[in-house]
Amino acid sequence: MLEVLIIIIKVVVITLVVFTLPLPLTYMERKVAGHIQVRLGPMRVGPHGLLQPFADMVKLFFKEDVVPAKADVWLFKIAPVVGMIPVFAVFATVPFGDKFTIPFINKEITMYIADMNVGILYVLAIAGLSVYGIILGGWASNSKYAMLGGLRSSAQMISYELALSFSCIGVVMVVNSLSLVDIVKSQAGWHWNVFYQPLGFIIFFIGGLAEINRIPFDLPEDEGTLGAGYHAEYSSMRFAFFMLTEYVAMVSMSVLMVVLYFGGWDGPSFIPIPGIIWFVLKVLFLIYVFMWTRFTYPRYRYDQLMNIGWKILLPLSLVNILITGLAVVKW
Amino acid sequence: MSDNTGILKRFLKKVFLIDLIQGLTITFPYTFSKTITLRYPDEEKWIPYQRFRGLHTLNKNKEGKELCVGCELCQKACPTQCITVIPGEDKTGKGISDRIGYRWEINLLRCMYCGLCEDACPTEALKLGREYELASYSMLRQIRTKEELLNPQPIPVEIEGGVIVKARLEADDKGIKVVPDLSTQKRWW
Repeated sequence: MLEVLIIIIKVVVITLVVFTLPLPLTYMERKVAGHIQVRLGPMRVGPHGLLQPFADMVKLFFKEDVVPAKADVWLFKIAPVVGMIPVFAVFATVPFGDKFTIPFINKEITMYIADMNVGILYVLAIAGLSVYGIILGGWASNSKYAMLGGLRSSAQMISYELALSFSCIGVVMVVNSLSLVDIVKSQAGWHWNVFYQPLGFIIFFIGGLAEINRIPFDLPEDEGTLGAGYHAEYSSMRFAFFMLTEYVAMVSMSVLMVVLYFGGWDGPSFIPIPGIIWFVLKVLFLIYVFMWTRFTYPRYRYDQLMNIGWKILLPLSLVNILITGLAVVKW
Repeated sequence: MSDNTGILKRFLKKVFLIDLIQGLTITFPYTFSKTITLRYPDEEKWIPYQRFRGLHTLNKNKEGKELCVGCELCQKACPTQCITVIPGEDKTGKGISDRIGYRWEINLLRCMYCGLCEDACPTEALKLGREYELASYSMLRQIRTKEELLNPQPIPVEIEGGVIVKARLEADDKGIKVVPDLSTQKRWW
């Protein structure tokens, strides 16, 4: 009974935390954008614009929810939710930290909801599903721009998910386990996979950028050519759900990178900080890198994107598997 | 041969993502560089140079006599015909001679701040000042008369300008105004 209760509490806590994460992240994104462009970013609402995300949220709540006249209403309404569920489901297997014991009742609690023995497969499969939200949204809007955004998203997904998954195989070969918890534990004491799998990490990083539709690969919502892409016709809370999906996907991708390549909660042992703080710091750093790249690079053209995916990243990830295999056999 | 090394160099540049890393190293320092945003009404205000062409002023000489002699040259020089001058005779000694501008009016809605009136003025009575916050709730407010323009402008003529000063926004039922604090001046570059 207690076990079930603990799991329910964990699920609720993680969902609430992840649900509120886009608020600070939008603020952070706008501040990073501002300072890179020698501006200030939001400054007017609250001290240093800290209340700006709340103001935006209230605005989105009260906006009119427009459904285009010729849209497929049911699909149109369900698409944001379809996109949102998978990015939340990813967090079910993510280990945020080591075990800790609650005082008084002496109960050991693990900092993850489930330790699946197929963790990586689960994460990749579920994360891949979130593209359905984009495709459905683009299709149901009955608008050419949204439609093109959805199509681009699906094509991009196919070409990058392959390289992404293959680059994970290198990690799995080194660690000899599919469970995310085992992967983190095997990296303890600075044996981070990023040192053993640099090529794999670069492929994973680029593929991850494409998977979560960030610049330089944000072709599904390319403002320059598609208006706003798949969410061109969305407004109000449905648009907010798409936005939420995007930010949570960014968080989940950096969380995955930390778990697979940066040793999870592992940090320098001479600084007495709990592992979860190290974890959060690493995730924050990676999110900052995502934002930093967003405001540095221009967007790739569509054919360039396909070229990189199929002609460079996919062969490279296969080469990575080959090298890792040889190294594993040797040692 | 040099072509081959060029190809090799370009290939290595691509492989090690040199160009992309160079891009990142350019943008990173900008994150911590000084911002050029002016937080205008709330905290800062731009004080223009002395040559700035803002709201007109009518000057007085050192004895406090009006320099305007009502010659109507500014009215003739004005391309948009926004200045109205009605000269008048005055023996009370308000002006420097016995002829003064009995009425001197400018319609700021038509004025394009070209400064031709300033050039035309023979007695240096008319000068385009540094007041630029001219928004108002009423169109009638945009017709400024002599009595108002004879008052000195909030920013003294001696201050060189081209600086940013601290300011604060004051709002009451009469309207809003930005009050500059001229003691702390800084250049933004």
